[in-house]
Amino acid sequence: MSKGAAEANQPSPLNRRVLLVGLAVVAPLVAVLFMNLGRNPHAIGSPLVGRAAPDFALRPMGGGEPVTLASLRGRPAVLNFWATWCVPCFEEHPLLVRAARSLGDRVQFVGVIYEDSEEQVRGFLARQGEAYPSLVDPGSRAAIAYGIFGVPETYFLDAEGRIAAKHVGPLDAASLAAKLRLVGLQP
Amino acid sequence: MTAALGRSLVLLALLASTLGAVVGGATAVRRSAAGWTLTRRFAYLFAAAMLAANALMVWALLARDFSVSYVAQVGSRAVPNWVAFVSLWSSLEGSILFWGLVIGGYVGVATWANRDKHPEYMPWAVAVWLACGAFFSFLLAGPAQPFASVSPVPPDGPGPNPLLQNHLLMVVHPPFLYLGYVGMTIPFGLASAALLTGRLGHDFLRPLRTWLMLPWTFLTVAIVLGGWWAYEVLGWGGYWAWDPVENASFLPWLTATAALHSAVLTERKGVLKGWTVTLVLATFLLTILGTFMTRSGVFNSVHSFTQSAIGPTILVFLVLALVWSVALLALRIDRLEADGAIEPVLSRDALFLVNNLLFVLFTFTVLLGTVFPLLVEATRGVQMSVGRPYFDRMAVPLGVALLLLMGVGPALPWGRATPAQLKQALVPPLAGAAIAAGIAALVGVRQPWTLVALAFGGYTAQVTLRELWLPLARRRAHGEQLGRALAATAWGSGRRRFGSYVVHAGAVIVIVAIAVSSTMGQSREAQLRVGEKTEVGAYTLTFLGIDQLREPHRDAVVARVGVSRGGRDLGVLSPRMNQYERQREPVGTPAVRSSLFEDLYLSVMNIDPANGTLGLLALVNPMVGWIWGATALMALGSLVALVPVRVGTRP
Repeated sequence: MSKGAAEANQPSPLNRRVLLVGLAVVAPLVAVLFMNLGRNPHAIGSPLVGRAAPDFALRPMGGGEPVTLASLRGRPAVLNFWATWCVPCFEEHPLLVRAARSLGDRVQFVGVIYEDSEEQVRGFLARQGEAYPSLVDPGSRAAIAYGIFGVPETYFLDAEGRIAAKHVGPLDAASLAAKLRLVGLQP
Repeated sequence: MTAALGRSLVLLALLASTLGAVVGGATAVRRSAAGWTLTRRFAYLFAAAMLAANALMVWALLARDFSVSYVAQVGSRAVPNWVAFVSLWSSLEGSILFWGLVIGGYVGVATWANRDKHPEYMPWAVAVWLACGAFFSFLLAGPAQPFASVSPVPPDGPGPNPLLQNHLLMVVHPPFLYLGYVGMTIPFGLASAALLTGRLGHDFLRPLRTWLMLPWTFLTVAIVLGGWWAYEVLGWGGYWAWDPVENASFLPWLTATAALHSAVLTERKGVLKGWTVTLVLATFLLTILGTFMTRSGVFNSVHSFTQSAIGPTILVFLVLALVWSVALLALRIDRLEADGAIEPVLSRDALFLVNNLLFVLFTFTVLLGTVFPLLVEATRGVQMSVGRPYFDRMAVPLGVALLLLMGVGPALPWGRATPAQLKQALVPPLAGAAIAAGIAALVGVRQPWTLVALAFGGYTAQVTLRELWLPLARRRAHGEQLGRALAATAWGSGRRRFGSYVVHAGAVIVIVAIAVSSTMGQSREAQLRVGEKTEVGAYTLTFLGIDQLREPHRDAVVARVGVSRGGRDLGVLSPRMNQYERQREPVGTPAVRSSLFEDLYLSVMNIDPANGTLGLLALVNPMVGWIWGATALMALGSLVALVPVRVGTRP
C-alpha cells in the first residue's frame, strides 16, 4: 500500500486555523442577519399618528348621509382602506366583520373603498358579509389625505378623532386586538 | 384541483430529492453500482417533478385560474399573455418555484452528463445537489406554497409588479440571474465531493471548472442585463447603484471569477487545491446569502420581496450550509495535497495569486458595505446607508488594479524568467498604454482615475490582442488563410485559452466604458412648456407636445421631444409616464437614443397634460452602449471556452 493511500485511511486532522478563520467570518455575519430578521424596511410610519385625523365627508355605498370625521367622534373608530381586487383585504375581511359585530356600538368600523367600482364592492359584500358602512372615495381624496401607500391600510382613531395607530397590510386577530387597546377598547 | 395537483408535484419533488440525497450519501460510502443507478433515478425524478410543477403554474397563470393562490396574488385578466407568463418569477412564491425548475434542470443535466464519469466523486456530488433541492422543495411545500387553494375563487387578480410589465429586458434578466445563481449549486456539490473524498485530482478539475464557468457566464450576463434594465426603465440615467441586491449578485460573481482563475493554477501546477475549493464553496454560500437578502425583507431595495416565513427558513439553510462548508474545510482541507509549488518570483503564477487576493479583497469590501448598515441599525437603532461614495472609493482602485493585472499577468511567462525576458514581456505593451492615454488626453479626459483606467486599458488591450493573435499568426505561418485560422483556433484544441482571452477583451472594454461613462457624462434638468428648448452637450431639445395613450393594461402620458445636433434634425424621442391598472404610482420609461460613442438619455421627472408642462432630465452618457456590447463579447468568449475539447483531438 502506498503512503498516500495509507494516509487517506487515517482520520484527517482538524485544521484549526481554517476553522477559526471560518468562524471569524461566519459568526458575525450570521449574528447580524439574525438581529435584523424581525425588521421590516417596508414599515411605513405615518406622520399622522398622534395627530388629529384629516377631515373627510364621504358618501356611503347604497345611499344615506355622508359620513364625516365629526360624525365619528364620541367613540373610537376604525378606518379600513380596502378594495375587492386586493387579496389581503379579502383575507382580513371576515375578521373585521366579526369584530364589528361583536363590539357593537363600542366602536365604529368604516371601510373606505380604494380605487374600485361600486358594482364590484356590492357583489363582494353580498358574498362575504357586511357589518359596517363602506364609503365611496371619489378621486381617492381621503386616501391621499391619509397618505395611503397600498391596501389594506387601517387607521385607529380615538374618541376625540385623533389617530392613535396605523396598520399596514392585512390585520390578524392579535394585531387588531393590540391596536384596539390603543384606542381604549378591551375586545 | 389545479392547486392540489401542484402541491402533489411539489411533494413528489421533495420526496425524490430527500430519498436521492440519502441514497446518494449511502452509495458514496458503500460504493454500490445499484445505489448509484437509484440515486440517478431520484435525481431525474426530482427534475421531472419540478418541471411539471412549473409547467402547471404557467398553465394556471395563462388560464387565469384564480383558484391557485399564486395566480390570485399576481394574475390579472387585464394583462397580456406575455406578462401573465413572466409573472411566474415576478413575486416571492413563484420565484422560488422557478428556482425549483432551474435547480431541477441543472441537477438533471449535470447528473446525466456525468453518469459514467468520476465514480468516486459523483454519488457525493449528486447527494449534495439533491440535499439543496430538498431544501427548496421543502420551502415550496411549506413556507412558500404557491399552490395553496383559494376559496371562494376571486373573479380577478391585481396583476404583477408594474416594473415587471414595463420592459422586455425584465423577461430576460431574472431567468439569467437564476441560471447563474442556482447553477452555483453544481460546483458546490462537486467541491463538497472533492472534500468528502479528500481528493481533487487533475481529471476532476475539468468538470469543476466547466460547471463553474457555465453559471458564471449566466451570472455575468444577468448582472449586466439588470444594469441595462435599470438604465432603460428606472429613469435616473445610471446602471449601477450599489443597491444591496445588486451587490448580492455581484458578490458570488467576484468569488466565482477568483475561483475560475485559481482553478487554472490548480490545473497547471497542482497547487491551491484547498483555496480553489474554498472559493467555490464561498460562491455558493454568497448566492444563498443573496437569496436571503432579497427574500427576507431585511434589505430595502427595488428587488426586495415582502416579509414572510421564507426569510427565516432561508437563513436556517444558510447557517446549515455555512456550518457544512466550514466544518468540511476544517476537517478535509489538509487532505487536498499540493502536487507542486509556486516560486516566489515575478511570474504569471505569482500574479494569479495577486489576482485572487484582489478579488477576495473586493468581495470583503462589498460584503462589508452591504452588511455594515444592518450592524449599525441593530446596535444603535439608526438607519444609515454606506452609499455610493464608500463603494466608489473602494471599487475604483480595485477595478483599475484588476485591469492592469489582466495585462501584466498574461504578458509574463509561466515560472521563473530572466530580466531580459521580463523586459521583453512587459515593455512593448507600454505603447498601447501611451496611445490610449494620448487619445484620451486629446479628446479632453482630465479626470485622473479615468486617465489611469484608459492607460491601463491600452496596456491590457495590447497584451490581450497579442495573445489572441499569436495562435492565428502561428497558423498563418503554416500558410493558412486568416478566416480559416480564426475558425480553427476558436474550434480547435486551443479554444479554451482563445475563449478566455476573448472574455478578457470584453472585460477590458467593460471596465474602460464604466470609467468613461461614470466620469465624462453631461446632464441638464429643465422645466419646459410646449415649444420651449433646452440644450445638453451638443444636442438641442425641443418640447413638441404631449400625447395620451390608452393601452390594454396601462395608460401612458408621452412627451414628444425633438432632437437636433448642430442644426441637423435627429428625430423625436418619446420618454413617458405609464399608469398601470390598479397601481397607484406612475412608472416612467426614459427614451434613449444610442450612437456609437454616446447615448442621449431623456427621462420625464413630471408631466402635466392639462398645462402642457414637462420636467425633463436630459443626460449625455458616453460609452454606455459599449458595456452591453462587451458583455456579449464576454459571453461569447466564455461559450467558446466552455465547449468541451475532446481529448482525442489534442495535437
